[in-house]
Parts: sequence; C-alpha cells; structure tokens
Amino acid sequence: MTTIKFKVNGQEQSLDIDPSTPLLWTLRDHLGMTGTKFGCGIAQCGACTVHINGHATRSCVIPVQAVEGAEVVTIEGLSDSGDHILQKLWVELNVPQCGYCQSGVLMAAADLLKRNPNPKDEEIDAQISNICRCGTYSRIRAAIRRAAEDLKS
Amino acid sequence: MKQASTKPLAVTRRKFLISTAIVAGGLSIQLNLANASALLLKGQVKGRMKGENTANELSPWLTIKPDDTIIVTVPTPEIGNGASTQHAMNIAEELECAWDFVKIEFADYRREYQKPGSYAVGLQPFFGGHSTDHDRMPYTMQLGASARERLKMAAAQRWGVPASEITARESVLTHQASGRTLRFGEVAADAAAVEIPVEPELKPQGDWRLLGKAQPYKLQLPKVVNGSAMYGIDINLPDMVYAALLQSPVHGGLLKSHNPDAVLNMPGVRAVVVIDPAASVGSPVETSPTFGFEGSECRSGVAVIADHYWQAKKALDALPVEWDNGLGAFWSSDKKIHERQDQVLSRWEGVPLTKSGNVDAVKAAKTVEATYRTPFCEHAAMEPLNGTAIYSAEGLELWHSTQDIQQAFWVAVDESGLHPDKVRFNPTLVGGGFGRRVIGDDVRTVVAIARQHPGVPVKVIWSREETTRQGTYRTQIAARYKAGLAKDGMPLSLQGETCYSGMAINIGYTDMVYAVTGAIPNVRLSTSQLPMHIATGAYRGPCYNSHAFTCETFIDECAVAGGIDPLEYRLKLLAGWDPAWSDCLKLAAKKAGWGKPLPKGQGRGVAISNWPQPGKKQAGSTVCTVAHVEVSQAGALTVHRIDFTFDCGRIVNKDAVAAQLEGGIVFGLNMALNEGLTIEGGAIAENNFNRMPMLKMRDLPEINIYFEALSGHDRFSIIGEAPVGPIGPAIGNAIYQATGKRLRTTPFRAQDLSWS
Repeated sequence: MTTIKFKVNGQEQSLDIDPSTPLLWTLRDHLGMTGTKFGCGIAQCGACTVHINGHATRSCVIPVQAVEGAEVVTIEGLSDSGDHILQKLWVELNVPQCGYCQSGVLMAAADLLKRNPNPKDEEIDAQISNICRCGTYSRIRAAIRRAAEDLKS
Repeated sequence: MKQASTKPLAVTRRKFLISTAIVAGGLSIQLNLANASALLLKGQVKGRMKGENTANELSPWLTIKPDDTIIVTVPTPEIGNGASTQHAMNIAEELECAWDFVKIEFADYRREYQKPGSYAVGLQPFFGGHSTDHDRMPYTMQLGASARERLKMAAAQRWGVPASEITARESVLTHQASGRTLRFGEVAADAAAVEIPVEPELKPQGDWRLLGKAQPYKLQLPKVVNGSAMYGIDINLPDMVYAALLQSPVHGGLLKSHNPDAVLNMPGVRAVVVIDPAASVGSPVETSPTFGFEGSECRSGVAVIADHYWQAKKALDALPVEWDNGLGAFWSSDKKIHERQDQVLSRWEGVPLTKSGNVDAVKAAKTVEATYRTPFCEHAAMEPLNGTAIYSAEGLELWHSTQDIQQAFWVAVDESGLHPDKVRFNPTLVGGGFGRRVIGDDVRTVVAIARQHPGVPVKVIWSREETTRQGTYRTQIAARYKAGLAKDGMPLSLQGETCYSGMAINIGYTDMVYAVTGAIPNVRLSTSQLPMHIATGAYRGPCYNSHAFTCETFIDECAVAGGIDPLEYRLKLLAGWDPAWSDCLKLAAKKAGWGKPLPKGQGRGVAISNWPQPGKKQAGSTVCTVAHVEVSQAGALTVHRIDFTFDCGRIVNKDAVAAQLEGGIVFGLNMALNEGLTIEGGAIAENNFNRMPMLKMRDLPEINIYFEALSGHDRFSIIGEAPVGPIGPAIGNAIYQATGKRLRTTPFRAQDLSWS
C-alpha cells in the first residue's frame, strides 16, 4: 500500500492503495465513480477514457502511481451539469444505443474538440478509435460535426 | 408509403380488467387478467398462482403522482434499442400527458410470479424488445386511455360538468366552456376512486400525435452522458467485495487442481471458491424460465474474492490452476472441423425439412454447386459479463444486466435453491446484449459464487478475456447447395444442407423466400449436425445471420452461372411474391446506380433477406442492400457505400428504426469483414480486442438508409435483427463483380482478395 495523492474533477484525493492498481479501478472501486467504464483492460476499446492533465488517456493501463499529483477529469466532471456541448448533442441526436462505451467516446471527443475546434472527418476518425459495438459511429461523427458548427457561431 | 390506417389497434387476445389505487397521493393503474387461472392452465401465463399475502401489493404499470410525474413501469430490460422509451410513448399517446413528465421504472418480476399475468403481456414479455408487439402495444395503450378517462371524470366531478366537455392534452385537463384547467397531478388521487363502466376505445391510428411522428431521445440518455446511468457493473453496495473468475478454457472441461494457499495471503484476498456445475441446488418449486435451463449451466472454474477487483484479479492471475480439458480437446484446429463438416455434407443425408417436387428427377442444363462456411462469433458486448448478488439467511438479491428478466429470475432461483419469494432480481441498464445475455449462465455463475461467500454483496466481473473465452457464440455452420438450371438460366431445382455445430435456428434457411414462392419447382432443404463442445446461443438474428450469407451468395452464383444480372435474377424469382421485396430491390438498385459502369477492381453486389418471417408475405422485416466495394490488386478491400432499403410494414418512431438499422448495418459489416473465432486445442484462441479486430469509425462506409420502400402494411415488425443479414452477402457479391473471386466463407479479411 502506498499513499497516492491526485485530483479528480477538481477534488483532492488521497488514497492508500496498491500503486499498481489501474486508474480505471481506482476511480470505480475506490472512489465509487462508475461513469468511467471497463471494456477490455488493454487500452483497445477506449471505454475507460479520462483526461489526465488535459489529455484523453485510456485509464485501464495507467497505474494509479503514474497520476500522483495529476489532474484527472472523468465523465462525471466533464461539465457541471451534463451541459457540455457534446453531452447536449449526444442526447439531442440520440447518439448512444446501449450507451456503455459513450462516456469514453465523449471524453475522447471533448479532447479532440478542445485541440481542434473544427476537425475534418479524417481527423475525427483518426482521433476517435473507440469501439462501439452498437455501431453508433455515424451519429458520433455527426454530433462532433454539429458541435464544431455550433462552436463557430 | 400508404396513409395511416384509420382503425385503432385491436385489443383482442385476452380480456382484462383495469384496477386502480392511490399510491403516494396519486393514481396507480394496473392490469388484472380476468382469466389468469384459465390461462395458467393452458400454459399461456408463466408462473404459479399464490394468492395469499399479495392482495395489497400493487403491480402498477402506470403511476401519476401529485407533482405530475408519470412513472411507467416497464417489464422489459433496456438494452439500448429504446424499447422502454417506446413502451412509454405507447402509453403517453393515449394518456395525453406531457412527455417531459414521463419516467421509467423496471417491473419487479416477483410480482409476476406471485400474481401471474401482472406483467406478462405479448410475445416474450420480459425480453428486451418487442415494444411494438401486436399484443402488447394495444394493451399498454389501453392503460393510457383508461387513466386519461378516469382523470377526465375526476375533473368532471370536481367541476360538476359532463366529462365529455373536458379535454386532456399535455397533462392538463381543460373545460373549454368555462376555461377552467386542472393538472393531471391535481386530480390523480381522485381519479383512483373513479369507476368507469366501459373502457374507452383506442384512438384511430390516424389521430396519433406521438406515434409515427415524435422521435424523442431515449429517456435514459441524460444519465448515460453524465456517467450516472447504472449498468450491472456499476452497482455499488455497502461492504461489497469483488470476485474475479477463471473457467475451463476448453468448454466442458473441469477444474483438476488449484492451490488457494498460494494467494490467500495476498492483499485484500478474502476467499477462493470453486465454481462447480454439480453443486447447483435446484429450484424448490416448478419453474418457468423463458428459454429453459439448457445452456445456463455453470462452467467449471475458480473465483478469487477480494476487497477490490484489482486485488482479486492479481490473485487470480497468480493462482496455480490445472484443467482437465475433457473431450473438447479433440477439436485441435479449424482444419479438422472443416474436414468433418465436409464429411457430413458430402453424404447429403441430412433431415429434409422443406420439400417440394423432386430434386433428383430434374434434367438440368447446368448444375451449380458450392459449399459455404461461417465461423463461431463472439457477441463482444462492450459491458463485460458481470453480476452482483448478496446471499444471506433472508434470501438472495441480485443486480444484473440481462436481456430477459424472467429467464434470469428463474436461473437465480434454480441455482440458489431458494423459494422464489426469497429471490429478488433487479434489472439494470444493459451494456449491450446481442443475444449473449439471454440464457443466464452468467446469472447462475454469480449466484454460485455469492452463495459461497454469504452475508456481503459480491460483484463478479469477467475480464474481457474471460468474457470472450466463455461465450455462447453464434454457431459455426457449413452449408452446401446444389441447383439445376434450365436453359434460360433460371433454377429448376434447389437442394441444400446446412450443418450446425450448436444452437440451430432455421429461419432464413428452410423457409428462405426462394424455396417457398413456387418459382423453383423442386426444392429439398435439409439440416444436419456436427456436434461440438463449444457453447452456442442466440446472436443478433440467430443463425439467420449465416443463412442470409449462404443463401444470398448461392443465388448470386446461380445468376452468374445462368448468365443473368443478379438483380434481375432475384426480381424474376420474386415476381409472384409480396411486392415489397421487389420494391426494396428496385429502390436499393436505383439509389446505388446499379448497372452503371465502374472501374476495374470495383463492383456492386446485392442481397435481400427477412427476419423473422422470410417465408410469409407481408410479414417480418424485409431488408435489402446494395454494396459498392473496391479491391486493390494487392487485395485490400474498401467498402465504399451501402445502400439499404427495408419493409417492416409501418413504423412508430423513425429515428429509433434508423438507429437500429444503422447499428445493424455496422454489426453486419463487422460480422462479414472481421468476425470469426479460431479453435486451437479445443479452446477459443482469441481473447481480447487485440486479437479480435472490431470495426471502428475510420472503417465506416457511406451508409444510405431509405424509407421509401415501406409498404404501409398494418404491422410494426421488429427491426433490430433483420439488417445484419444482407450486408455480408452484398459485399461478397460485390467483391466477385470486382475481382472474379467468389467468397464462400466469412470473415473476408482473412482471405486473399488480390487479383491481376
């Protein structure tokens, strides 16, 4: 056990924890924040995507010791009241089906928009490599495009 | 599309009584089957009559609270298809409530057990779909109508005016003449006391305001996008512990030995328990699982229980385990399996299930014969298998992502041995099902583990690797077809045999449209089995997803051999059939530019199929695809475009139908291009997404879905499964046009497509 200190959604956290515990399981089991999802455990599917120091990162392969002192933002902290432009459009355009992968997709998409407010389709495709088994890809792309349009005006 | 029917939906099958009660100061409304006992005797209602101690419990379908909140109780799980939202829309259409006030709660299955008929209405009433089922839909609409009339009468009594002068709209009751209004919530409690002599008629469909018009977002979405939606894996309970599990990698194998002492001292570890299929207790009462218990058995293995999942997983990885692989190890490779399939098929001795004329007597100008194969496929739902249970002296309570609540409940009863009154099952949102979360083997395993660690909640999580290895896969099949063509190229005979290695569903094979229209005078379609140890089960359009590939590829081969354009060939074969099929073909072809020249290395292919009633006119959902592909000389395949048409009769929610079609098309693409498990030493070789490529956003072709082929026939057929069918064969047929290479097996990515 090691004491690890980091910030999650702006709140200081101090945990006595096995330092090899992936950030994913730290968030889910130790902090009770289950919005970040377990999909594969090997950074292939992206369901566990969070922001670490402002960068979209797959948290299932990041040991918690690696985020000592870092700022972590999860889906629960993407906006104050679920009103990030992507969250609003995800609902309006009925993007999710089962929805399980979508918190990861949203975190990846929010990171993309922050760096590139008007991404081309190829840039969206390159950046969002999450797996959605329900096949909502075309709506994800459409929602990101709409967000880019809305951000322009 | 035709005009909407002016008739209301018919409530025909069963008589029922509507009763009401005051709940939380508002109106609660429920259905009571008038003849539940009689239905029970006929086996139409599942469960057992109890009677005692239940009279005061309610099984509400609909509750209107004083603050205007509308709670719609949904007997089906929500797997992402929006069935629960649709169910609420059906009620809201007649209730005339404001949509923003509607909330959804899952029904407690125990009520159905205690009072059969409480929630069992329509086809597979506890299964995650069928919200537009032709029995269930009018039932639920009647609830809305009944509540609305009672609210009107309560307002009429308060105002001292005739109820006929009152209108209900957007959760407000209005007396036009005096301009007075009341909110639903203000009279909800009074409405609970209203007796209405005759239940109101349902609206004519032409008067619908929501159905066929509104396309609201699924009600759970605000919680999905902020991370607060609760899937099975998200359940968090006080004192909860976690279990990681490992089961025999070869299905049917047994745990030979393990050494708990090696891990019991590891941090957080509480216990190591054995999952023993023979230890299942058995139900103390007669059970009624939707699909029976076969296939729900535990798989021999071991689980480590610890304070946190990561601790459990680390200890499991460190646990020495030996397996007795059993007979399954005989199947050393796919090659061996394919050889045995060929041995079976070459005998042509399968059981003939569809037969007309005499295929052996045909004098054909030309014979076409080919063998096709599809592999085992894993559902790969994004939420790995999991479940949480607490087993104690008081009973068993579970939280679980299931596609069928009735099945899950009875599996839990059967594994625990507890009386059903002591078992409580809480459905959660489901992170993808596709057929994997139906039979309840996962439920049984959770109970088997929790039972050995009583008193605290145990959350059992299958790793992705374990989820993949312990699947209930789409069965592999091999199919051989033979057709005798006349001089004009059209088939005189069609002979087929499909050899399954697991759960065999013949929809789309023995009732394939070409076999039933009479256009082919001599038909014999048989089935056979190559039994294997690999667990199989439902998979988005069970087996149909393979049959559509074998059948639509073979018909394409016949067209080519007959020297006839593949689209023209299908239109000729379907000439006397339900015209919606031809309409789908013609529209897809027109939109895709069928017949327009393409550069070398590019091609178009067409396919058509129907789930679940290909052999009946104006039934099921007919789906048609034209695919446009390009194959580089080196063999790299690009699917440029999918043009998709369909007929499911009519639709009540265009966006929901579109979403299912979009998702089904992607599913069909992935199945055809990528999916196929490899058998090595009797076990599944793939275990995670690094070895199991999945379609991603960058792989998406242009997808065009057209609604113009909808016939307007008076049915709202299910639409989730059908679209997976025609995608693969349309692409395969397009690859043939592009390269001259005929693809007779899936997945396509595994094959050499190079050409010169």
